[in-house]
Amino acid sequence: MASTVAVELPHGGFSFDNCKRNALLEDKGFKAPKAYKTGTTIAGIIFKDGVVLGADTRATEDTVVADKNCEKIHYISSNIYCCGAGTAADTEMTTQMIASKLELHRLETSRKPRVCTANRLLKQMLYRYHGYISAALVLGGVDSTGPHLYSVWPHGSTDKLPYVTMGSGSLAAMAVFEDRFKPEMEREEAMKLVQDAIRAGIFNDLGSGSNVDLCIITKDKTDYLRTYQEANLKGVRQGTYRYKRGTSAVLKTEVKKIVLEVIDTQVKPQAMDTD
Amino acid sequence: MTERYSFSLTTFSPSGKLVQIEYALAAVSAGAPSVGIKALNGVVLATEKKQKSILYDDQSIHKIDYITKNIGMVYSGMGPDYRVLLTRARKLAQTYYLTYQEQIPTAQLVQRVATVMQEFTQSGGVRPFGVSLLVAGWDEDEERPYLYQCDPSGAYFAWKATAMGKNHINGKTFLEKRYSEKLELEDAVHTSILTLKESFEGQMTEDNIEIGICNQDGFRRLAPSEIKDYLASVS
Repeated sequence: MASTVAVELPHGGFSFDNCKRNALLEDKGFKAPKAYKTGTTIAGIIFKDGVVLGADTRATEDTVVADKNCEKIHYISSNIYCCGAGTAADTEMTTQMIASKLELHRLETSRKPRVCTANRLLKQMLYRYHGYISAALVLGGVDSTGPHLYSVWPHGSTDKLPYVTMGSGSLAAMAVFEDRFKPEMEREEAMKLVQDAIRAGIFNDLGSGSNVDLCIITKDKTDYLRTYQEANLKGVRQGTYRYKRGTSAVLKTEVKKIVLEVIDTQVKPQAMDTD
Repeated sequence: MTERYSFSLTTFSPSGKLVQIEYALAAVSAGAPSVGIKALNGVVLATEKKQKSILYDDQSIHKIDYITKNIGMVYSGMGPDYRVLLTRARKLAQTYYLTYQEQIPTAQLVQRVATVMQEFTQSGGVRPFGVSLLVAGWDEDEERPYLYQCDPSGAYFAWKATAMGKNHINGKTFLEKRYSEKLELEDAVHTSILTLKESFEGQMTEDNIEIGICNQDGFRRLAPSEIKDYLASVS
């Protein structure tokens, strides 16, 4: 009488079935395509009223710039944002999944989501994949307990700090922070510090470039300043190869009529033959 | 004759009915009344939330709840079954968002929830849900409100205005007289309170009814103070 109850649940996690085959192919000289990395400078600081997150906007594919203006500051919830470095697809999908989980959590608990919850969800997921999800994140936000800032590493470890940087340009950005960070800074001062840190990454690291994006989160509102500063404007041409009319003198004008056979066809929409 | 076919959910009776579903509908009709009205610029959901004792903490449990920021739901029937469907509906909405990066349209959500309810009428070892749901949503793309009802059988209908639960026949008759296409959301809230009043025993206060509205700002449950104001303008 009884039939099976539910649909068979799909198995989670990665499938390593093709590893042997891939190794064989590499031996034969067929290299696997490389992932689209972001090679980034991302940074965040805690200031008096909240958190400032900053990121550059260059996405690289080995040595070629794949996207000159990509968005690296991802939405987690209205009061929590996350900058992502590493493989672009991994950071995008991971932050989207955690944003979705956090939304479900918010509906179940009827409370504004906390940054520590997002942190837990991220680290638990990344640890499960043992570093194969190449997402290095700077997670920041303001919740009922105040402003918080975390850095999340691909293997699942996290650090809770007043200022963090991640990505290939992290050393350049950290140098700026170590020099000028003070606790309880004002909003404008904090924005200038993050902006300068990202600029340090943009100009001194090959993997980072283009513009600076900022996100300022406080208790009452969030300002997502996409393209806060265009640090690298594309060069403007100084001259043109087009010549003005009259540069070449006209000596003689002759107009001839060419007879053409014009065939006019109209394509009318026809009903689909569904017999 | 029908009793012989009432034990097995997955067996039809000679008259062509699935008796368990009929019984589920009876459970719904025994539940607290709920009303939904679609206005020009929004939808209102209202329900009676009478607790058996004054010792209950009224504001801790809600019958009207959010699925997404644009869609809300209320029920008539068994509370625990509703909770399960609510969690499912929320998950379905998030899955849709992760796939399409767009908020789920109300009609799509209702279709998915109704499919879940139907699965429980055709599987072994489970029973149908003892609730009928009223789903109210605002579609941001089409900029219009929607009101749907989902039954234990898995059937769903779009309504302009409807009543469920105890006294739903009288409720629907009342709405047939009162409903007009040109209703605004404010009038719809008014009408929904009056519809609930038809079957209400005792004094209606802001603690024993719940009202939710859905308009272009999304879905929102009214605060007790707002309900108090509406009740004052009705009586």
